[in-house]
Amino acid sequence: MRGSRTAVRRPSRARARGATIAAFAVLAATVPAAAGAAGTREVDTELPYVCAFPSGQRPATVRISAAFPDRVAAGEPIRPADVTTTVTFPAEAVADLAATGAAEVRAGTRLTVAVAQHDATAEATWRGTAQPVALAPSGPLTLTATGDVPTVTGRSAGELTLSAADLAVDLALDTADGSAADPAARTVTCALAEDAADHGLLAAVPVGPDPGGTDGSPSASPSPSDAPERQDGGEPADRQRERAPRVGGDAPGGTAARPDAPPCRYDARYPAGPMSLNAYITGYANVRKLKGAALIPLTCTLIEQGEPEFEFYPDFSGGTITQRSTGDLYNGGRTWSPPFEATFLTFGFTPTTATMVLEQTGPLTIDSLGATDYVFTSTDTYVRVPLVLRVTSLTVNGTPLDVGPSCRTEKPLASPEPDPAHHPGDHLVLHGRGEQVTGEPATGYLLLSGGPLTGEVSIPAFTGCGAGGENLDRLLTASVSGPGNYVKQTQGQTCYVAADVPNPDECTTDLQPLRIPVPER
Amino acid sequence: MKKPSRRTAVVLGAAAAAFGIAVAPASAVPSTVWTVTPSPAAYTAANSGNIVLTANIPMTCTTSAASGTMQSATGNPATVASIDAVTFGSSAAPCTSVLGNVTTVATPPWTVVGEDYAAGVTTGYVGNVNAKVTAGACVFTVTGKASATYTNSTGILAVNSVSGDLAVASASGCGTVVTTSTKPTFKGNYAVKVSGTSTIPTIVGSNP
Repeated sequence: MRGSRTAVRRPSRARARGATIAAFAVLAATVPAAAGAAGTREVDTELPYVCAFPSGQRPATVRISAAFPDRVAAGEPIRPADVTTTVTFPAEAVADLAATGAAEVRAGTRLTVAVAQHDATAEATWRGTAQPVALAPSGPLTLTATGDVPTVTGRSAGELTLSAADLAVDLALDTADGSAADPAARTVTCALAEDAADHGLLAAVPVGPDPGGTDGSPSASPSPSDAPERQDGGEPADRQRERAPRVGGDAPGGTAARPDAPPCRYDARYPAGPMSLNAYITGYANVRKLKGAALIPLTCTLIEQGEPEFEFYPDFSGGTITQRSTGDLYNGGRTWSPPFEATFLTFGFTPTTATMVLEQTGPLTIDSLGATDYVFTSTDTYVRVPLVLRVTSLTVNGTPLDVGPSCRTEKPLASPEPDPAHHPGDHLVLHGRGEQVTGEPATGYLLLSGGPLTGEVSIPAFTGCGAGGENLDRLLTASVSGPGNYVKQTQGQTCYVAADVPNPDECTTDLQPLRIPVPER
Repeated sequence: MKKPSRRTAVVLGAAAAAFGIAVAPASAVPSTVWTVTPSPAAYTAANSGNIVLTANIPMTCTTSAASGTMQSATGNPATVASIDAVTFGSSAAPCTSVLGNVTTVATPPWTVVGEDYAAGVTTGYVGNVNAKVTAGACVFTVTGKASATYTNSTGILAVNSVSGDLAVASASGCGTVVTTSTKPTFKGNYAVKVSGTSTIPTIVGSNP
């Protein structure tokens, strides 16, 4: 699933020009409304991998356990259950991590799973989150990650196979006193070793009726259009089509239909207060120089709702509404986005894949300014947040380049600021407008219920990129940095976590946002 | 000292009686017998057009429903119906404001009270209103009554509260948008049917 179209400014429509920049999407994960009637079987496979560390390529073992249905009907989703991905890095690799000053590691895994049925193929990403583990000064390091994974649906009868492929391990590194190590984050990319048994096969699930012995009629001849499809009813996952990435739809009707999303909850490090909300945000950020867009994946945002203030006009014909809320990105215990990958053609011809995170470097504020005359009510909301773009791994023309531990923009991304006197410094500004004609539903961006937020941002020069004498700052600055990059993010419905009775239409039972926004162009 | 006092009382009583007699011919005699047909009957009501709740800023509900029982009554005012359940918005179509989605949870029973009747239209109010309204961390409770009319020819209960009918009993997290000084309003039409039928119930007030 690659996306090559850029986010568009309405009403004009930018045209896609080939696969200039492809944002990798999270394959939509939805939980089937009802469990399949068939039995399940457990799979527990240990596979050899080779992982790229600063000190070189190191072997690693990856153990994957999951439960798959014995058989499903055509069109019935396969939902792997109880998925655990256990990664063991060797002692040499651990020494690399310990050299950063890290004493504790929090990890997320992104396992690419190749799905095939007949000639049709698709890819799913199995995401997992590991509990924090102490980094021992010597010996191997084992990370055990769990998480819900996407469903896969075979559109026709025949065996559907799922095989483990590339693995990315996103590491957040903390020092003994709880502060961030330097670097604070690292992405370790791993490839399945060539000698892996059955090319990483995890499971082969029969799709269609049980032939019941020798009388089984042969299944229909395979067709190239029989691509497995995602549960959310999206398009067949045919990579040749270069379709825009799509993340699962807004799923009404309870947690059973909630698409997969990273954790988004208050915790001991970030406790909830009486006005605490949480919400997801996702969308596209154009990279103008590359004529493409990167998908910023579902990012958890914790929001402290400000009290709305109302001031009557002197003649009481209406009034103004102001509301200042604050918040933080909060993913894996840190104020940053989840890692995201983008592939683009540097200088128009060199395929380059970068893994990045957006790291919040100051307060996030949400200012809503509104007015009503009781006939028409509107609010303009400005979200401001300083964000540094970090690059954690880079592959150019198939060759991994070591970007080093501190490859980042030299200062935060900067938007034109409508009120610079009150909001100095470089930061991203996103604007959303909500409107309501009295008697009609409210439309547009509404703080509590989300909606589209747009802005424009300059990407500063990169610094600290490269290792071993190779300086990659210029490459990244020349190919990425520059002004006029359009950003469109969509916020989902918030969950008010401190409610006496949390709203079941807005919150999961464990007080995460129920509603998953869909990125829009 | 006792005599003048007693005389004064008599005079005041006469004045009040005279006032009553003088005013009565100018309007219908207030109904004291309320004939509901059928009675008793279970009814359902669904919004006809959008419902608007306003507490400085407006909120719109595109769906709202109520149910309960209605029955003949005597007196003035008289409770002609009990609202045993009332909903505002739904999972698929929540009520909205410029702050975002708004959830309104009623504490029933509410009442429908008749005060006056003329030409097939009962004038009165929806009484015993009690509802908790939530917009994110802004939570407030509305209590009181909402002026309303019921028209026999259409079966429309038209709720059109005026400032002062409803009050905010408590508010938290709402800043100055909603305080206990805020005077909320509740406006919208409901189409009433006898449960399970398309029959429009009627209310007739009389003064035998």
